[in-house]
Amino acid sequence: MDRKTFLTFISPSVAMMLLLMVFPLVTAIWLGFQFITFRNLDAPQWVGLANYTEVLTDSAFWEALRFTLFYIVITVPSQIIIGFLVALLLDQVHRFRGFYIAASLLPFIVTPVVGTLIFRTMFDRAGLYTYLLNALFDYRLVMNTATVRALIMLHGIWYTTPFAMITLFAGLQTLPQEPMEAATVDGANALQKTWYVIIPHLRSLLVFISLIGIMDAYRVFDSIFVITKQNPLFKADSIMYYNFKMALSFGQIGKANAMAVITVIGVFVVLIPFLITTYRQQMEER
Amino acid sequence: MTRTKSPLTRLVVHVLLLAWVLYSVLPFGWTLLNSFKRPVDANMRIPKIIGFEATSKNYADLWLYMPPEEFAPIGIALLALVAMLVLFALWARRGTASGPTVTLVIVGVLIAAALILPQVANMAPFYSYFLNSVIVTVGTLAISISIACLGGYALARYTGIVGVIILVAALGFRALPRMAFVLPYYYLGQLSGMYDTHILLILILVAVNQPFAIWMLRSFFMEIPREIEEAAMMDGAGRLQSFLRVIIPITWPGIITTSLFTLLLAYNEFLLARILTQTNAATLPVAIAQYTSGEDASYITIAAAASVSISLPIVFVIIFFQKYLIKGLASGAVKG
Repeated sequence: MDRKTFLTFISPSVAMMLLLMVFPLVTAIWLGFQFITFRNLDAPQWVGLANYTEVLTDSAFWEALRFTLFYIVITVPSQIIIGFLVALLLDQVHRFRGFYIAASLLPFIVTPVVGTLIFRTMFDRAGLYTYLLNALFDYRLVMNTATVRALIMLHGIWYTTPFAMITLFAGLQTLPQEPMEAATVDGANALQKTWYVIIPHLRSLLVFISLIGIMDAYRVFDSIFVITKQNPLFKADSIMYYNFKMALSFGQIGKANAMAVITVIGVFVVLIPFLITTYRQQMEER
Repeated sequence: MTRTKSPLTRLVVHVLLLAWVLYSVLPFGWTLLNSFKRPVDANMRIPKIIGFEATSKNYADLWLYMPPEEFAPIGIALLALVAMLVLFALWARRGTASGPTVTLVIVGVLIAAALILPQVANMAPFYSYFLNSVIVTVGTLAISISIACLGGYALARYTGIVGVIILVAALGFRALPRMAFVLPYYYLGQLSGMYDTHILLILILVAVNQPFAIWMLRSFFMEIPREIEEAAMMDGAGRLQSFLRVIIPITWPGIITTSLFTLLLAYNEFLLARILTQTNAATLPVAIAQYTSGEDASYITIAAAASVSISLPIVFVIIFFQKYLIKGLASGAVKG
């Protein structure tokens, strides 16, 4: 395909991305330098770096960042470990495999707000899990900062594990037979085979899932919105949620945009090595 | 892996998998049950799994502003329409009608029926949110997939460095937090009067979906040998013509897969819809969010009915398109 045809074919798509993502991003940077609230939407005032310093010295922002990082550290490894174990189990069976996969996909693809509400209902005052915790372990579930945070993590694992499971299961299907047989001949047990043959085979896939998992966990919003019932007393803001509140509840649009720009920088710190690898890979493959 | 397992091992594996599935879907079953309860039963400290008085009142309250008895004939007419469409689909599969045309006819009739319904029946606001979701999802799907097909195909066939740069930049866009570009839209939308319109939400969803869609479609177009379109072009077809007439039909399964994920993205999106709409263009996730903060005891059952109503289309997607979904999840990951 020549360059001219290529540009003609790609232009609608690139125009969409430039116009609707790059342009607003630039606008966000500009808005970050302004003092804007709902009252002066049409007459913003230039305040320089004031919004940025305000965000960086805002203890609630750091608290939200800390909680988000904690959320990542807990949910991403959990989803990978559980997803891997279930994928190994799935690989052992043929019967009902389609049913197991379809049923466990449900939490992952159902509308997140709805999925979270459905999950939370189990822990409401009249919820099934609340009752079971009480009946089986004599534990009375009360909503406070600790339990709400724990619920958010638990939901995060419930919601994302199916993705890890299905991709790792797909990876297991491409596992070459020879090394496994060689390992059997050498007398390796199941655990050793998993550690020395299966995990190295899935290495790039594990990196990929971790990366997607980290990026998505960094942007966690819907589940916080639903599980905290938008009650600030629970102190479980993620950065995305705190950013949302800054704009829509507090009306600090300038400061909210500065915060958004800072979070973008945070994403790219993690992302740049991956982008470089992809670039090299694509250059080789073309 | 070796599959010479003892029956006992196999039993244990199945039991573990069943436990996992139960953990995944139990909340859905519980909400389904709640949606048929009266508030008094749903709020019992000792949960009632059986022995409550089942009612469909929650669904009627959620969807209708008229007595269910008066709605019954209209409902029956709708069911008859759906039955006719199913028969039409079965008939078309036997004949020579092309898949895309049949799909378009069915989708067209359904959309027409959905738009006419509020004229003949007194529907509750939830229905207008449902319509907004349909409009936003279909609009996003149509625009997003048509331009991403062109783009993905171009990226699959062009080997210049510009192509690689676009691909890598697209990956960067995929990782952008929504907040970074939604606030400027909020600001510009308020100034220009585009705030709370379908088109604004559709356009931004198209943009959000582009990076993913061009990557995925590109991988499907790359599987098609170049010789096929070269043969078509030798026969005198132009680049665009050979693409539309020859390449698109063979890539159809891949396009369906990409469409499914686009559909899910548009239908499920909460943050963008919450910020950019108020009432006129608010979608289902925004509508259900109002039930998430209340402590009112009657909320549980109506929220359950709303949850089930919103989840039902997704359950259909899983049942009918499972093959495509798994293919998409697996291929995107293995190649990505």
